[in-house]
This record gives sequence, C-alpha cells and structure tokens, in this order.
Amino acid sequence: MIYLDNAATTRPDEGSVREAMRYIGEDFFNPSAMYKEGFAVHKRMDEARKNILTNIADPSKFDLVFTSCGSEADNQAVFSCARRGNFVTTEGEHAAIYQAAAELARRGVEVRFAKLDRYGGADEEDLLRLVDEKTSLVSVIHVNNETGAVNDIASVAKRVKAKNPRTFFHSDGVQAFGKIPFRMTGEIDFYSVSAHKIGGVRGAGALVRNKAKNLFPFVFGGGQESGYRSGTENTFAIMQFEAAARKKFRTLTEDLDRVKSFNGLFRRELDGKIFAILSAENASPYILSVSARGLRGEVLLHMLNDRGVLVGTGSACSSKNRYSRVILACGADERTADGVLRISFSAATTEEECREAVSIINACAGELAERTR
Amino acid sequence: MEKVIIVRYCEIHLKGKNRGYFEQIFMNNLEKALSGIRHEIRRPSGRYVVENFDESRTDEIADRLRKVFGVHSLSIGTKVKADMEEIFREILRISPDSGSFKIQTNRADKHFPLDSMQINAALGGRLLENKPALHVDVREPDTVLHVDIRENGTALVFEGIIKGAGGMPVGTAGKGMLLLSGGIDSPVAGYMIAKRGMRLECVHFHSYPYTNMQAREKVEELARILSGYTGGLTLHVVSVTHIQEEIHKKCPEEMMITLLRRFMMRIAEKLCENTGAQCIVTGESLGQVASQTIEGMTSSNAVVNNVPVLRPLVGFDKTEIIERAREIGTYETSVLPYEDCCTVFLPKHPLIKPKLEKVEQAEAALDVNGLITEAFSSMETLTI
Repeated sequence: MIYLDNAATTRPDEGSVREAMRYIGEDFFNPSAMYKEGFAVHKRMDEARKNILTNIADPSKFDLVFTSCGSEADNQAVFSCARRGNFVTTEGEHAAIYQAAAELARRGVEVRFAKLDRYGGADEEDLLRLVDEKTSLVSVIHVNNETGAVNDIASVAKRVKAKNPRTFFHSDGVQAFGKIPFRMTGEIDFYSVSAHKIGGVRGAGALVRNKAKNLFPFVFGGGQESGYRSGTENTFAIMQFEAAARKKFRTLTEDLDRVKSFNGLFRRELDGKIFAILSAENASPYILSVSARGLRGEVLLHMLNDRGVLVGTGSACSSKNRYSRVILACGADERTADGVLRISFSAATTEEECREAVSIINACAGELAERTR
Repeated sequence: MEKVIIVRYCEIHLKGKNRGYFEQIFMNNLEKALSGIRHEIRRPSGRYVVENFDESRTDEIADRLRKVFGVHSLSIGTKVKADMEEIFREILRISPDSGSFKIQTNRADKHFPLDSMQINAALGGRLLENKPALHVDVREPDTVLHVDIRENGTALVFEGIIKGAGGMPVGTAGKGMLLLSGGIDSPVAGYMIAKRGMRLECVHFHSYPYTNMQAREKVEELARILSGYTGGLTLHVVSVTHIQEEIHKKCPEEMMITLLRRFMMRIAEKLCENTGAQCIVTGESLGQVASQTIEGMTSSNAVVNNVPVLRPLVGFDKTEIIERAREIGTYETSVLPYEDCCTVFLPKHPLIKPKLEKVEQAEAALDVNGLITEAFSSMETLTI
C-alpha cells in the first residue's frame, strides 16, 4: 500500500505513541485533581503546551489552548471573535471556517468572501477591499488544504491591522504547522493547528492565542484551559502531540527538501497528456493537486485503491458536493473540477513509492480514458 | 399480572381448507420476527398471544410484530386471573381519569358466571364510582377497555389498538426477484409485493469503480430495512461495469439505459432459474423517467422468456411512492446522495420510445452471452 493522502491524516508516529502511552497507563490521573499525581500530570501538560507553542511563537506573548481538533479551534475563533459587524474570509477556506461562516450568516452576521487566484491563494487586494471599520474578524487559511497554496498571512495580517486595528486576525494553520517555516507575528491574533497532520493522533488540536486577546469560551464546565475550553484534558493525545511536534520541527527543513523532491517527481512524471497540474510552483510541496480533465477523480481513486495507491480527490460520485467549491473558486471549469486528485506527501514517503505510484496513476488514468472514450 | 401482546391477523380466515397452511407460515414469521428475544406465542382461537417476554422490551417487540405481514393489529395488555376483582383492578389502572369510555367483553369461557353484558355493566358501574369524571358512551367512546375471558382461567385486559402492516404472511405467495437500486421506488415495490405474501430475493447492479462503496452500503441498508418486513432477505450484487463500457463503446449513446435494462432483466431471469424465484419485480412507474415508458418496458420484457415481470408501482405517482417510502422507513436512506448507476455513461438525451427492432440491431454489436457470464462470475450473494 502506498499512502499519498497525508493531508487527510498521517500515520501516527510510533515512538511518540509509545512515549505518551503512560498517560493512559500509569499516569492516567485527571490533571485537575488536587493530589500530587494529578498535579504532576498537570505540570507535564503545561510543559507540553509551552513546547508545542515555542515551535512557532514566543511564549511570553502567546498562549495555546488545547482543543479536540483543528475544526474546533477554527470554530472557537470564529464564534468568539465574529459576533458583530462583518466577518471577512476567503473562498479558499477549509469547511471548518466556511461552514462556521455560513452559520454566522444565518445568525445575522454579514460574511464577506475574498476571491482566489487560479492556484487557490487568497486575492490579497480583494480581501483588503472587504475590510472596513465594522469588520470584527478576518480569517485567512495559511496553506490551502486542497491546492497547497500558501498565503503570506504575516503580510495580510499587517495590512488588515493597518486598515482596522481593532479587527481580530485568525488563520487556519492546520496544513502549515510543522511543514513550512513560520513564526507568529504581533498582528496574528489566533492560529489553529492540529496534531494528526504531523504524526499525532486524532483528538488533539490547539488554538494559539495572542495573550492580549481574549476568547469567549465555546465549551463551559470545569474551567480547564484557563476557562477557555472546559472538559477533562485528553492528556494522552496532548503528550503524543508534543512528542510528534518535537520530531517534526527538528527535521522541518530536511523534510521540506525531501517532500519537494517527491512533488517535483510527480510534476515531471505524471502524463502531461492526461493531467494538468493545479497547484502553484510555490505551493506547499506537501500537497499536489492535479486534474485528469474529462475523467472523474473518484473513479480514478477507486481504481488506484484497487492497485494499492491511496490518494485524495476533489470530486465525489455524489449528486451533492460533486465538485470541490475551492477548485471551482480557482476558476476551474466543471470538467477540470471533476477530475481532481489530491496527492499529499509526508517525510515517511519514499522515492521508490513515488515512482511506483506515478506509474500506477498514469496507467490507471490511461486505462480509464480508454475505457470511457 | 403479566404483560401480553395480542396479535390479530387479516385475510387468513378467508383461506378455507388452506387455513392451517397459512397459519403455520404466519406463526413461523412471527417467531422469526422475535428471534433473539425470549417469548412464547400461544394460539387461542382467532388470534395469537405473545407472552412470557422481557417486559422492558415490550415496545420493541410490538414494533417488530407490527411489521410482520398478515398482522391486522396488535394490543398490549395484561393477563390476570379470570376473577372480577382482579379484572376490575386492572381496568381501574389502565383507564383514563376523564372522558368517555365503554367496556367491551369477549367471553370465550362460557362457564364464567356472568355473561358479557353483565360483565360490562358490573365493571363499568364500579369504574364510574371510582372515577367520577368519566362517562359512558357506547357509540363513540374516547377509550375502549377490552376484557377477554379465556378458557384457561385467565383474562386479558387491554386498551388501544396498534395497526399492523396488513397483507398476507410472507412465504404464502411464492418467491420473486426484486431489482433493488439505491433509489426510492424499488424498496417500495419490494414492500408491496412482499405484503401480498411473496418471499423476496434482491439483485443489485453496481458499476464500481464508477460508483462507490457508500452506494453499495446504502443498498445493503435498504435491504436490511426491507428484511424487517420480509423476515430475512438474500441480496445478490452484480457488477455491470464492463457491460456499460461495452455499450458505451459499441452502441448509440442514447440507447445506454435501454440496453442496460435488457441486460439487467436477462441477469435477473437467470437468477430466477438459479434460485427458484417465480417472477421479476421492479420499481418502474409508467412514464416516470425516459426508460419507463411502455416502449421501454416492451424492450426490456422482450428478453424475459419464462417468468412474468411484476411492476407493483406502475400506476403510482412519485408523490405516492415517496409517501409509502416514508411510511416503511426507506426514504431517508434512499435519498442519500450516492449515485447508484454510473452517470459517467448517462446519455444527454436517452431514447424515450425505443423501437424493439432498432434496439436488437444495436445490441447485435455486443457479445451478450459472454458479458452475462462475466457479470455472473462477479456476483456476490449476501444474507441480510
């Protein structure tokens, strides 16, 4: 099996899982408990918090609130910050922002979507035009989860704040965290991350928060996470997240080079007569979006599945959600949107796997084209 | 005091000398519906009584029984000693505090000291004394309190009647092969034909890799819902992928559906031969889509030689079919958005009135027998 759907989820890093097992074994204690054992877990969790945070931010200026996943972090930011006025975001957001925006609109908040360029990146000028004195929140995805387009969020945030300093700025960093070099800047107030895209297990995500910016809680209860997110902490997933992130950030640069070479190999070797490359040259190399125009992505996915290659797709054999809204927002026509495959790498991918996968993908696409001609 | 469920049946009493046969099958179906739940079914004259079950599962048992074809109605009641004092205590317990009522007694035990009228009067009188806000109305009462004096020294007391699925016991009217797509119509067609006592096997055609696993899962779920009424089902799953590809390559585009339907019918007929099914059942409704015209049906009937094709929905409007689908609980699953037959090959303008001669001409380009043999080799059979 060749796994090339790492933007969906990654295989959990085994060493980190082993390391964290003690928090569902001998150190299973509730971190809020008053005895020493509980307090020790609490202390370790705060270390983990700081260690994860330090990878991308200065812990004296930023804090980190653990959540159950990236979607929760996104929703937390949106429903906390965009309670009045208008909410400005882009057409290239992950569903966690896009659907939260739709819900906000139902609740009477005006939502404005900035256009995308043809690669899925946000049109910065269009976005800035939408920001005004009533804008309560701007949210721009850092790395687009379908095309890999990278938005320069530090620059966008700066320009947004110059136009309206009272606006909150949030970014969904789920596909960027641990993959591309990045540090939080003073203009970015909130940043969502997720463990399972970098070798973590599912069940842990986080919202990085500028200490000067408060949140309205989403979940009320025992007051954990400084009252921002009640609920007994998932200490196993949090500690495993810390260990996986430690590994990932240590090798970030070399992983990036490695993945770049895989990405390049696909760009070169995929059959140009069948496939169009949708991702920009300067996109995150972890994600490569291509389209077998005129064929259907999901049909190809099934054929590849039978040949042992697992990839993602932007289309579905479903009358609803047939086409990816993001790919259409890039200006692609329906035939292109229908044929989208998303190939996403991890550092654990090997070159040999990539070569084999490319040849299987070419063969299956050729066969499908022949069968349906 | 013990809870019981009284089951009344319909039409079986019409069956004269065959009545014993019908009753035996009905009894087996009731038993099958309750498999996995401890219970006993007794058969005093004219109805069935389910006893000795876990009372916390009463509603579940009633729900399962309600769906068995042949069940006219159910009542959930209590079994007490055939003693006026005990009967009254139960009447007092289950009767409402206000509104109109009547007591209706059925006395199978003719040795019981009071006759039906006397029992009604005695119980009714005492009830009025105890609950002064009640009054008697024998014509249109809000509540009917039933008392059944049985021959074994017990009495059943109950109020309220739950409507059953009606129809005839499944298994009393032969066996059919239902073409089960993932749509709204075919499960309803299956339901209606099973309701007249026919046992069903289903055949589903898929086009993997053009259709997905979710579509397949959906059909299995539909078969599961249907099996709640039919007491188990066999589902045959057949790939028509290569057949569609061949039609796509070698025949006029607009004939895709017409030709595909002929293949489905041939496969279904062959399955009938193999399984002993005596007819093919489809969910077609006249004029609903391009392939369901009389010409379309003629074209697909033409390849079926030895069994009739039953189309129980032929005269139904879509809204009527949807209403039924909601009633039997298949609608929510049917409208899940997965495509069942691939739209990759769907023609832009399907033929509405195919001429048999032209269809046969077009089909001559295909190795019909070879393709059918191939489709059969891909077949999976599941017991639902």
